[in-house]
Amino acid sequence: MTLPPHADSIAYVRSLGKPTAADVLRRSRENGKVAVQPRCGVGGHDEMLALLRDLEAEAEPDILTITIDSHTRLKRFDNALRSLNLNPADLNGYPLVTHGWQRGRELNSSVRAPIEIRHGSPDARILFDVSVASGITSFEGGGISYNLPYSKAVPLAESLAAWRDVDAVAGELARDGLVIDRELFGTLTAVLVPPSISLAIGVLEAISAAQQGVRCISISYPQSGHLFQDVAALRAIPRLAARYLPAEVEVFGVLHEFMGVFPKGKRNAEELIFYGAMAARLGGAAKIITKTYHEAYGIPTTQANVDGMRLAAVANSRLLDFVSIDTSRVDEELDWILEEVGEIIEPVLAESNLDSAIIGAFDAGRLDIPFSASKYARSDIIPRREPGGAIRYHSAGALPLSRQTLRRNRNRLELSTPDDLAVLMSGLNDDINYFLRLFGEEAPTT
Amino acid sequence: MSHSKGTVVLGVAASDAHAVANHLIAYSLRAAGYDVVNLGTCTPVSEFAAAVQERPETLAVIIGSLNGHVHEDLRDLREAAIECPVIVGGNLSVGSQKDASALDRLYALGVDHILSQPDQLPPLLARIAAERAIEAVPVAVAAS
Repeated sequence: MTLPPHADSIAYVRSLGKPTAADVLRRSRENGKVAVQPRCGVGGHDEMLALLRDLEAEAEPDILTITIDSHTRLKRFDNALRSLNLNPADLNGYPLVTHGWQRGRELNSSVRAPIEIRHGSPDARILFDVSVASGITSFEGGGISYNLPYSKAVPLAESLAAWRDVDAVAGELARDGLVIDRELFGTLTAVLVPPSISLAIGVLEAISAAQQGVRCISISYPQSGHLFQDVAALRAIPRLAARYLPAEVEVFGVLHEFMGVFPKGKRNAEELIFYGAMAARLGGAAKIITKTYHEAYGIPTTQANVDGMRLAAVANSRLLDFVSIDTSRVDEELDWILEEVGEIIEPVLAESNLDSAIIGAFDAGRLDIPFSASKYARSDIIPRREPGGAIRYHSAGALPLSRQTLRRNRNRLELSTPDDLAVLMSGLNDDINYFLRLFGEEAPTT
Repeated sequence: MSHSKGTVVLGVAASDAHAVANHLIAYSLRAAGYDVVNLGTCTPVSEFAAAVQERPETLAVIIGSLNGHVHEDLRDLREAAIECPVIVGGNLSVGSQKDASALDRLYALGVDHILSQPDQLPPLLARIAAERAIEAVPVAVAAS
């Protein structure tokens, strides 16, 4: 199926008469109202269409999502087609490439909100082409963040080059007048990701995207569950953008509601969802991607998805204007995050070629992520929660953190026991199950 | 590294994507002085065998499994003829009732050591290294 030329897709987006994702993000920042976006994606076309319409009719999200299936993420288009022909319910997302751009446009024309494509592809070039042809104005992923958490053996050189191509196309479209929002996946492995790792990788991917001409970048950050740390991380995003990105690039902060082990109880889950939405509000996020009270059990029903979005939207209420936060505690965390991000990325930025600097740094462990699925990150980082819940570096591996930073992280953890493997594992287990313990759904092991 | 206690090959069984315990064990064994070749999650038996073939000095292969499919995942273990001891640990059968036959079937597949707790690993590796050193002594004498 031949794709239409860019001019045709740009004209199609204009003809839709709805805002682009970038328009929504800009408006939400100007109004101080966090845009709400669900996660959603199913295999069959009619089912996807119904899902988007139902979510929009019931919850009026500011941006909608099409989550893509695993076969398409790995360019196994034949497998996607086979599942689609035999049993579309087997697919864990919408196979956009297989359905094709005309159906993509049909989805797009059927809802008022702009749509983002969310996936996890180390090489998303084909998917991006079809997404553009579908007139979709937001596309998630990056050469680091959509490789290391998802793929075991894709070299960074390959994923960085593929995403550079995606960004170059987005840059071309921006020059031709269509700004595509490029969101970077700061959630990474979703397990106790230290804020400075999430943001350091987001900034590096953002610099790379900006080099290719991308004009709208969303830097996403996963809720840690510690309010001061989360608010500080979100407030760090515009500061990091001012420091490291060209002024003509619009940068938006996005909060991904808690991505770790979710409480099972419905009310507990709802409390956590609302807590996340308050963190997004106080942190000045332009957008929040929501969770549901079905999170602990798997894919949510449409009703649960609607309820999750409505609950998150309540945090935007003007009635909550009285809520404030201890600025000095936020500023303390903010200073630490900015310092750590600088220590991690500045040696990489000092090199002349960004891609080869990133590849070399991951190889040496100077860049790293915890619990990587890929063998191209060393995962020598061991995060832990301090007694108050904030995520710190228990071990920073070979990250180029200053002695002062390392000492502060260790001190904040207040570790009294030695580095015994069994103690570390049970402690980490407690940290991962933090909200289960907080809500009394599980007894602590230590 | 001259001060290394030896090389171990580590990984998670083929159908299993649990990365956290895997990375923690790699971290703690490196801290204890071992050279850890971590093959990571979803590692088929053939990959473990190839890693040992590339590194004949390997002290042991350590395979983690948390998803209850260890017997299926290690079906080809005997055919792979891995030279060094094979250690398996994790949640080794589905359900909360652990039955002894599950362990017997693992030994029958060619597993040499089965661990239920991660802290059993360092002493076991030390014992394997000590046995290896004793075996190596006559060779060293002959060579000198």
